[in-house]
Amino acid sequence: MQTFRGYQRADGSVGIRNLIMIIAADECAEGIARAISEKTPGTIVVTNYNTCMYGGNEEMIGTMINAATNPNIAGALVINMGCGSITPDLVAGPIRATGRPVETLTCIKESGTVSTIREGLKRIAAIVEHANATPMVDAPISKLFIGIKCGGSDTSSGMASNPSVGLAADKLIDMGASAVAGELLELLGCEHILKDRAVTPEVFEKIEQLISDEEKRWHVEGTQVETMSVGNSIGGLTTIEEKSLGALAKTGSKPIQDILRINARKLEKPEAPGMYLSETTMLCGGSAMHFAALGCQVILWTTGGAGFNNPIVPVIRVSGNSQLINEDIDIDATGIMRGEDSIENVSEEILKTLTSVINGEKTAIEDFGYAYCSLIQKDQRVERLLSIPAE
Amino acid sequence: MSIVRQKTVNNMIKALRLNAADNVATLLGDAAKGETVLIISDQNENLGELEILQAIPFGNKVALRPMKPEDQLIKGGVAVGKAIRQVPQGQLAHVQNIRSLNLDIPEVMINEIITQMGIEVD
Repeated sequence: MQTFRGYQRADGSVGIRNLIMIIAADECAEGIARAISEKTPGTIVVTNYNTCMYGGNEEMIGTMINAATNPNIAGALVINMGCGSITPDLVAGPIRATGRPVETLTCIKESGTVSTIREGLKRIAAIVEHANATPMVDAPISKLFIGIKCGGSDTSSGMASNPSVGLAADKLIDMGASAVAGELLELLGCEHILKDRAVTPEVFEKIEQLISDEEKRWHVEGTQVETMSVGNSIGGLTTIEEKSLGALAKTGSKPIQDILRINARKLEKPEAPGMYLSETTMLCGGSAMHFAALGCQVILWTTGGAGFNNPIVPVIRVSGNSQLINEDIDIDATGIMRGEDSIENVSEEILKTLTSVINGEKTAIEDFGYAYCSLIQKDQRVERLLSIPAE
Repeated sequence: MSIVRQKTVNNMIKALRLNAADNVATLLGDAAKGETVLIISDQNENLGELEILQAIPFGNKVALRPMKPEDQLIKGGVAVGKAIRQVPQGQLAHVQNIRSLNLDIPEVMINEIITQMGIEVD
């Protein structure tokens, strides 16, 4: 796999899908955004469901803006009600700066909901035309950025699907692609391995700091840190390192170039090819939007049998659980658990499916049953307590 | 490969050794005390047979080589624990003979796991 056939964007990135994002900058604009989307194929609605105020929502809005500049997105329509402080231009400006066409609409300036829908349909038609005229190119594999995540994990994850995805990731990085994982809470106890994998001592310090921050966010002071359950151990996990290692296995064995921060101040992107960690949340729905914001065109996701999906970034699902695997899963790794298949072989299957998907073929449930495009942000009050500067 | 041979291998419980450096393999089925299991590599190569010293349920680990106290438990090519007593070849490598390198499970929880799993502590 040297190249993939994708959509050339003005900012130099290459998408594997050609979608238009309709952003409801506040939740009151959501109905308008949906009405326009229903009549316009190829559009995805992303809603800020939280509040219409910008203060305290900078991280969420940052994720929203960056998701609209994902390589899979051709352009955007930004809509707000008009009485909140998140103006359409605040959202549209950075998207426009990437060379994407962006239109903005404010409901109360357009004489109301029905008029805004009518005007929105007119405006989006021009964006659709622009998207349809996007040139297709044979892009080098170095333009590919893959999100890696697990969810609904079980005994088979650490033994079959995660090591298979990890080996596939190693091969992809050897080819020149980049990949990123998150879920820092699940890396507790892996620090000694990450120390060897971080490209510099500075990168390792940053990894250690961000894992420790995440631990503090989730564990209230004075309570015992929940690292292992009796159920984990009966399932065969003996130590926290072993549990974390099962989760870390999906990142393969290549050096870790950096850990990308996602906070109110910044959303870091990779500066060189290779394997990355990030502050991508462990919560699946929100994680897909973090991957979208980081610029990933596709996600490799390991699970038991859950059909997690996202409309912006196609999700390739891998399962090694023979009791739960179903039609939603793209890659069958159950043979490893029966001792009839190898991690090497499944990693090749992953590469085959990935090659098809990045060249336009649909995943098992693409176009069906999507998760909500949740925009997760860390609790800004806790961030202040952790002394993570917001400005 | 003859069908008869395949059937014999398929009937034997398998244990997966993830990395060549590993001193444990993970059971892919429930094995009874004294049962012989087939050790396979991540490439699905047959690495040999091993008699196990106590019942080991699916997902748990069997020692491929003897360990002495302070020896590291290697899984997936990485140290994920250390022995706190002699662990003979074929023994269940778990909370009764292995501890974390960093952060231990509380002792009450270890006793609960040993009780619930019916682990033989020697």
